[in-house]
Order: sequence, then C-alpha cells, then structure tokens
Amino acid sequence: MTTPTSTEDAIDATSVTETSGAVGRSPGQLMWMRFKRDRTGVISAIIVIFFFLVALLAPVISMVYGKDPYTLYGQDMPGLLNDYGYPIQPNGGISSEFWFGLEPSLGRDVFMQLVYGIRTSLGIAVAATLITTTLGIVVGIVAGYAGGKTDYFVGRLIDLTLSFPQTIFIIAFTPVVESLLVPADEETPVWLRAVTLTIMLSAFGWAGLARLLRGYVLSMREREYVEAARVTGASPGRIVFKELLPNLWTPILIQSTLLLPAMVTAEAGLSFLGVGMGELVPDWGRMFLRATQVYQNDITYLIFPGVALLIFVVAFNLLGDSVRDAFDPKIKR
Amino acid sequence: MNYRRRSALAVLAAATLTLVGACAPGNQGAPAGAPTAGSSAPAQEPYKPAVITLGTAEDSKGPAIAPEGVVKGGTVTMIDRDDFAHLDPAQSYVNTATNFGLLIHRGLTGYKRTAKGEYKLVGDLATDAGQVSDGGKTWTFTLKDGVKWQDGSAITSADVRWTIERSFADFITFGPSYIQQWLTQDDYKKAYSGPYDGKQLENIETPDDKTIVFKFKAPHADANYAFAMGGYAIVPKAKDTKEKYDKEPFSSGPYIIKSHVVDKSMELARNPHWDPATDPIRGAYPDVWKLEFGQEALQITDRFIADVGPDQQAFTFYAAVPPERLQQVLNDASLADRRMVSPSPYGNYYYFNLDRVKDQKLRQAVNYAWPSKQIQQTIGGPQAAALPTTILNENTTVGYKPYDLFGKTTKPEGDIEKAKQLIAESDNPNPTIVYAYNQTPVQEQVTVVIKNALEKAGIKVVAKPLDRKTYYDSISQTKNEFDLYWGGWGADWPSGSTVMPIIFGPVSDGGQNMSHLNTPELTAKMKEISENPDIDAANAAWMALDKEIQEKYTPLVVAENRIATTLHGSKVGGAEIDPQMWIVSPNTIFVKP
Repeated sequence: MTTPTSTEDAIDATSVTETSGAVGRSPGQLMWMRFKRDRTGVISAIIVIFFFLVALLAPVISMVYGKDPYTLYGQDMPGLLNDYGYPIQPNGGISSEFWFGLEPSLGRDVFMQLVYGIRTSLGIAVAATLITTTLGIVVGIVAGYAGGKTDYFVGRLIDLTLSFPQTIFIIAFTPVVESLLVPADEETPVWLRAVTLTIMLSAFGWAGLARLLRGYVLSMREREYVEAARVTGASPGRIVFKELLPNLWTPILIQSTLLLPAMVTAEAGLSFLGVGMGELVPDWGRMFLRATQVYQNDITYLIFPGVALLIFVVAFNLLGDSVRDAFDPKIKR
Repeated sequence: MNYRRRSALAVLAAATLTLVGACAPGNQGAPAGAPTAGSSAPAQEPYKPAVITLGTAEDSKGPAIAPEGVVKGGTVTMIDRDDFAHLDPAQSYVNTATNFGLLIHRGLTGYKRTAKGEYKLVGDLATDAGQVSDGGKTWTFTLKDGVKWQDGSAITSADVRWTIERSFADFITFGPSYIQQWLTQDDYKKAYSGPYDGKQLENIETPDDKTIVFKFKAPHADANYAFAMGGYAIVPKAKDTKEKYDKEPFSSGPYIIKSHVVDKSMELARNPHWDPATDPIRGAYPDVWKLEFGQEALQITDRFIADVGPDQQAFTFYAAVPPERLQQVLNDASLADRRMVSPSPYGNYYYFNLDRVKDQKLRQAVNYAWPSKQIQQTIGGPQAAALPTTILNENTTVGYKPYDLFGKTTKPEGDIEKAKQLIAESDNPNPTIVYAYNQTPVQEQVTVVIKNALEKAGIKVVAKPLDRKTYYDSISQTKNEFDLYWGGWGADWPSGSTVMPIIFGPVSDGGQNMSHLNTPELTAKMKEISENPDIDAANAAWMALDKEIQEKYTPLVVAENRIATTLHGSKVGGAEIDPQMWIVSPNTIFVKP
C-alpha cells in the first residue's frame, strides 16, 4: 500500500518549513497539503460528505424514489408481508420497488428509513458535538488559565462527570423529563425527545475535552509569549482569545471530529435501549434494535442499518485520525 | 498507525462482502403442518374448554394430586417481565398477582386440578366448598384443623372475618368487590369503612374459632366461586400493617418471601408451618423458588429455546412467545414437548372513555376503521391472535352466538370509507383520539398500526405511552385524560354474569368499568338477567345484550384475542397454563434433577 510513503511525505512536509525560503505556507495550507496526500483520509472525507449530503437531500431522494419513511407499505399493500409480518419475498423483501426491502411487521420502506435515519442521527450528533465542544473549550480554558481553587473545583466536577453512570442516568431521567413537561393529553413532541437527547449527550460529553484543554493551557500559560503578553499589560481576555486559543485549535478540531462518530453511536445506543426517538421517527438505533429481534427470520433487515452505521463510524474515525496526522504529523500512536 | 488503518479498511471490506454475500430466504407463509387458522382455532390442538365441577368434603382433603413423574425438592426459576404490582391479596385482581398469591396465600376455597383441563372447586382453608342455607343468602364455612400462619399460630375465623372487613378500607382499591357488595350494597365503601376503627360488620358471624357465617342481602348461589378468587385470600388480624402489607405480606401458603428486590428478583423459601395434608390445591414441590423480573418476552423465549444450564430448570408465568419468534417456535419440532398453547379466556377491549368521547358516530367510525387484520399481523398472525367480534369471549360463554356489527369478517383490515362517512355525519369533522397504551415493544408497533389506520379515516391519534407496571392503575382512574385504551376482563367464574355487570357496572377509581358506560336502563336489565333462575334463558339474554350494547352505545372496540404459546425449560415438569387464569399455574410445577 501507499501509506508508508505518505508518512514519509508528511515528514518531508514539516521539513519544508525549515528549508524553503521561496514559498511561504501557512499552517493551514500545510495541513491541507498533507491531508490531500493521505488517501484514506480523502476517501473517508468523501464518504462523510456523502452521508451529510444524503441527510440534507433526504426529501429529494424520497421524491425521486417515490416512497416515504412513514407509510406502512407492507400493511397497506397486500402480498408483501406474510401472516407473521415477515416479508414474503426473499432477502427481506428486496425488489425493484423496495430497494432495501421492507421492515418486518410494520412494512415500512427500509431504504427510506435509512436515509431519514441519517438525519436523526446526524442532527442530534452534530448539535451535541457543537455544544460539547463549546462547553469543553470554555471550561477547559477557564480551569487551566485561572488555576488555583477554580481549577481544583472544576477538576472535581470533571471527575464527577467522567465517573457518572451516564447511560443509566439517561434511561432513568428521560421518562421523568417527559412526564414533567408533556401534558397528559398530548403526545411527546419529537423536538422534545431530540432536545432531551442532545442535552443529555452534551451534559456528559464535555468533560474529556475540558480536561485535555486544561492540560494544554496549563503547559502554555507559562510560555514566554504568554509571559510577554502579560508583561505588556494584555487583559486576560486577550491572552485567552488571542494568545492561547489559536494554539488550541488543533486539539479542538481533532477531538470534535472524533467526538461526532462517538455521538452517533451513543444516540443509536440510546435508541437501542428504548430512550431514543419514538417509533414514528426513523432512527438507526431503533432499526438495529428491531433487527436484533427478528434476525433469525429476516437477517437482511439487520444488515442494512448495521453496515450503514459501521461504514459511517469507521469513515468518520479515519477522517479524525487523518485530520490529526495532517495537523501534527509528529504525534504518532 | 499503518497497521491500524489497514485493519479498519479490512473491516469495511469484510462488511461489504457480508452485504453482497448475504442471502436470506423468503418467508412464504404459515409454517408447515400448521392449520390455516380461522377466527378462533388455536395452533396445535383443538381447544377443549376447562371442565369445572363442585368438589366434596372428601375432595377438599390434602394433599394435592401430584402430576405424573413428580420429583420433590430442588430450585425452580421463574423469569418474567414485571414484578407483581401487589402482594396484599385484597389488592390483587390481575392474574399475575393472584397466581403468584397461590404460593404465599390461602383462601376459603380454591380450584383443585384433578386431571388436565379438569378442575374441582374445593375447600382450601375450609373443610368443604361451603354450606348454603336460607335460599342462597347464608353461607357457612368451617376451617380445617392444623392450618397455620408462617409463625405457627393457628388460622382462625377471626382472621377470615378480618380479611373481608379490611377489604372495605379506604386504601384497598384494586381488589375484587363481589363479596363486599353482596354483604352491604353496590357502593359498599359508603356502608362500612373497615375494621380499623373497631367496628365490625354485622352480617359476618363467627360463632367459634373454626366457623364463619356470611349473611348476604340477596341470594348468591355462586358465592363459593367468588371466595376462590385470589383477592379473598386471607390476611392475619395480628399482623395486618395496612398499606405496608402490600410490600410485606404474612404467609399462610407453602412458601415465605425470603428476599425481594423490587423489579429485580424475589426468592421464596419453604414455610415450615404449612402442612401439605391440609392443602388439596398446592403441590409445592420445589424447595426454593427464584423469581427474576425485568426480562422481555423475547429474551425469555430465547433462553428457553437455547435451554442451557440453569435455564433448563426455569419457566415463566406469563411471558408468551413474542411474534418475532412465533414462526420459529411453531416450526421447531424439538420444542414440541416444551410448548404450552392456550387461547385467552378473556374479553379484550379497546375501551372508549365515554366521558370524553361523547359522539357515538365517532365511536362507530373508529370501530369501522379499526385495523384488526394489521394488528393481528403485527402481533404474530392468526396463530397468535384471533379476531373476535363480540364482547363475551366464546371460550367462557355458554350459549355463545356470534354477530358481526362492524363488518369485521368481510373487511378485517378496516372499512375506511364507511368510517369517513360516519365522521362526516358526526358533530366534529376533525376528531382527535388520545390513545393510551402499555409501553412494551409490541404495543409500540401496534400503536403505529392503529395510528396509521385511524389517520387514514381522518381521526387524529395522540399516542400516550404509559408505564407498564402502573398501566392498569392509570387507566382505571375515573378521571383519566385518555380517550381510548386497551383493557381485558376475564370471567371470574364461567358465567356471563361476571362479565357484563362488571365492565358496565359501577364507575369507581380502580374499578373495571373503564368505558364509564353506566345507564339506569342497562343496569336494570343486567340485574334482571342476573336474577333469572333459568340458566339457559339467562345465557341467551346475555348474548342478546352483548349485541344490543354495541348497537346502542358502542362503548368499546372488540380487541384481538391473544393465543398464548409459552415455552419452559427442559427440566421443568408439570407446567400447564391454567385455562381460567391463562397463566402457568405454580401448583403443579416441579423440577427434574
């Protein structure tokens, strides 16, 4: 494979900064150059972009394909499901009409479920990642820069959050939130579920990033350029935003690209455990749950959400790795 | 790093290969050898309704008749989804609770299994199934010698009196109410408020420690059947802790609760003061019972199919094979001897809350649009559920005569056009129905099916999931905020008189009239039929009333009737579904070493 050469190229690229007098390149440009040479990274990026596009264009796909994720085709059209609710056609009911087959029992279209499922997964994961990252940055920098008692208490809060049994907490807490917020004669709105999930995932996700950034800030705040800024009378705000933050973008970017797939899996996991989105919202985790119940009679239904989730998470993780390598080729694990 | 990447790519490649290479066979239809089931035919063998007769004093003597090949001792495991909502007998009405009660509680009378499908009503604590006098108004029971509480003290007639009297108390809300009403009046809590303030009920007499006499206001020739209900199992006067008794009951039965972690597990040990010679009903063969809660029916079924290790000595009271596994379980010949099949003896209804859904046209429209066929398909097909069209259950009704008011035999998938037409004629052209359901995986799906069908007819459906353990408690509140909810009712003894006057009887919190249909005209009619001395005429009248109620009031949608297929471990013997309770009876269970 080409990977060994690409690593060497990466090392060459760093040496470029020292030798070349003619061409000046910003760190961003360097990163982009290194990234373009990383074939795995580029392929992963294409896959990731593809998933995002599918999520964005779901209604268009639905229009072209002529089906939607909510209609119970198997129940409305006789001859698709047998008396037990399983697809009559082989391979989970795959046909020219239903490309990925039909969901057992309810008879919804699997392809549409998958396409719309990306929206649910990605929407919640992106929102949770953004909140998590923001929280992590703020708390991490504050703790690292302020030091002393603040650092101590924030540190303990991080310990607490990291050691908290979050899955159990979410399972126990979600029904409570719903019974508190939803009037008895109304259905739990979809957005409430989504917001609850996002908040829950964010509330437990920020601690790792915060701790990492605190470490970075601790090591940086005694460096000469920060000292110099302080001596010239720069305000703490200026030091944080202009001196420290630019140096932190690399770990932040890397962490958040790795966080996103983790959030997708976490959301799917919670749906699998029954506290995710409801039966009416397409969701990979719930598809997976249903598939594990019926796999002995309809293995095809397990394969689609399984493979989709696998490809997505692996691609995103590889992308995260590539981004890290491109930013900082010296870090190797 | 390189190695890491390559392996990740390999995983991707392998996954893609799986996708390409996978070939699943189609599911062409019913399993081989299974009959194409009609509206009521159970899967394996033709259903034989249970034969229940009245036993003699001789029949009431212990010990119980042992099942074939019985082995005493050992530890049996029971796996189920939910813990028991109530342990206080007076609060127990749901079959899971009363069935479990057989292990720790005893009553005046009970059903003794004499052969498969044959039962006799015998005296349990009493020496016989009761002596009737005064034209059916006075019932006398004599307690057996040697019946004891778990601390060794004798069970006396004062305890029996206390048991009945305390069921009038305010905090007892979920148990049966026949005896209380017969002793006083329909609204029995107004007549007497329980024994805790020192007052006694006048029409219960205890001439001595062994004898107890009940004097009812009207003749009740079937009172001894009523006393066999788990809700009338006895509670000791000396150990009654009122509300707390629901958590820590005092045992009169063959076992004592050794430990109980709510919603998780329970362990039973033998009650040393229980004497099998006094008990004609309970076999109590295993030494130790371990009960596990919190397992879904699917996991339980998979454990029984796998039949490995300690699961071989496990069974389940209530977890029937879920729809996902039904095809597999019915097709697997090796499971044949571990399969128990029984159609439900219950009437199952989706009740309208008549206080909220006031328009009969809408109720009829829902009935027409109801996706019976789709629900049947979702819960596992004709072998998992029958589609009855009457309020009374054909299996527990003598003189059953079917009728089909809403075209369900011709259009089981629902008549959307007819429903739309009815809604157009109704007061509100854009109705909303709040549908409350028990939040289980299967019910989640059934809800989607119902929502789909009703919304096609133009009825907006708001689905409210309810917590499983308190589902019944929630929907049986009079002032609930739901329009439609599922509820089941089983005849307490084989007679139409234990169905109609209950589900259309007095409306009360925790009561069984969940549609809140209660008109003087209907009440009078039911009273008249109840007091009819000609049993055949009465049965015919109940059947006619069944149709009349649906025509005149439409208080409910007749729900699918589940046919249970249940598995048990290979080293469990004597496992049988009790045809009346529709739950595996603990009385005959034993474990093979």
